[in-house]
Amino acid sequence: MTTPPRHGVYRAFINLYPPTFRRHYREDLVQHFDDLIVDRGMRSACLRTALDLVITVPNYRLERIVSQQHSATTLVVIISLVAAAGVISLLTGVYSGLALLGAATVLALAQRNALAKALRTPVAGLRRRRLRISAALAVVFVFCAGIYAMVIGDTWTLRETVLAGVGTVAMISAPVFLVVGLLTPKADPHLVG
Amino acid sequence: MSGLEPRAFLPLPQAQFHVLVALTEGERHGYAIMRSVEESSSGVVRMGPATLYGTLKKLVDQGLAEELDHRPDPDDDQRRRYYRMTGLGQQVCAAEADRLSRLVRTTRANLRPGIA
Repeated sequence: MTTPPRHGVYRAFINLYPPTFRRHYREDLVQHFDDLIVDRGMRSACLRTALDLVITVPNYRLERIVSQQHSATTLVVIISLVAAAGVISLLTGVYSGLALLGAATVLALAQRNALAKALRTPVAGLRRRRLRISAALAVVFVFCAGIYAMVIGDTWTLRETVLAGVGTVAMISAPVFLVVGLLTPKADPHLVG
Repeated sequence: MSGLEPRAFLPLPQAQFHVLVALTEGERHGYAIMRSVEESSSGVVRMGPATLYGTLKKLVDQGLAEELDHRPDPDDDQRRRYYRMTGLGQQVCAAEADRLSRLVRTTRANLRPGIA
């Protein structure tokens, strides 16, 4: 069975929706579009669906951004980056980096309820995803550390700065994601995340 | 979900209420729900595909509606997914109808005190 071109175009637009929504409803949306064409005609179906896309794509994207799980992940990333910037500052002799470490601590404490709630909520595949991110960051850290040890010389160049920066961010983020991943409960396989 | 108080869901967003009202007629697939919403609102409320399925997703997530495991009409398109209201959904729908009914009574009394 071949897919009509109109379905191909609509299927492409469905990719603009957040992953969980489009995974679960892709076939329903296409079927609905097909029904609209048969029932109301091509022009009416396309107009209604185009208007629907314009309204719902930004709406559902925004909902995902402000959703609890997504916010928690963003928070973990921000806290890790601020902490890493603090550590880099201290390593390079800029002791005002202590303020960044303090800011990361205050941010983590202030948002501890939101973080704890997000951690306790089982979402399909989230635990595995966090542990994979941790493993990937650990590999990045080992890679950066290895290259750094091989190329470091008497002069501090941009290359060393980049390696130290990326390596430090990975060094701090990897254990953070490992702990967060281990604390994330395993989800019921029947639940949709 | 069953321990939740129906009033905690009020006021229901308009789209969710319209879909729940459509599901009071029985088990429906997405397109039938859209048609029912149009008919019950005299064509005023027109839902696009993603608006409808986004609303259904929220209702399912909140425990107010559920997907059916079986297909009420075996001759129907195999791709269609059917939905029905849960017990909590019925309570919430009734509570929202009561709330709107009181609001309509108040509005009529204030605008046309001689008639109400």
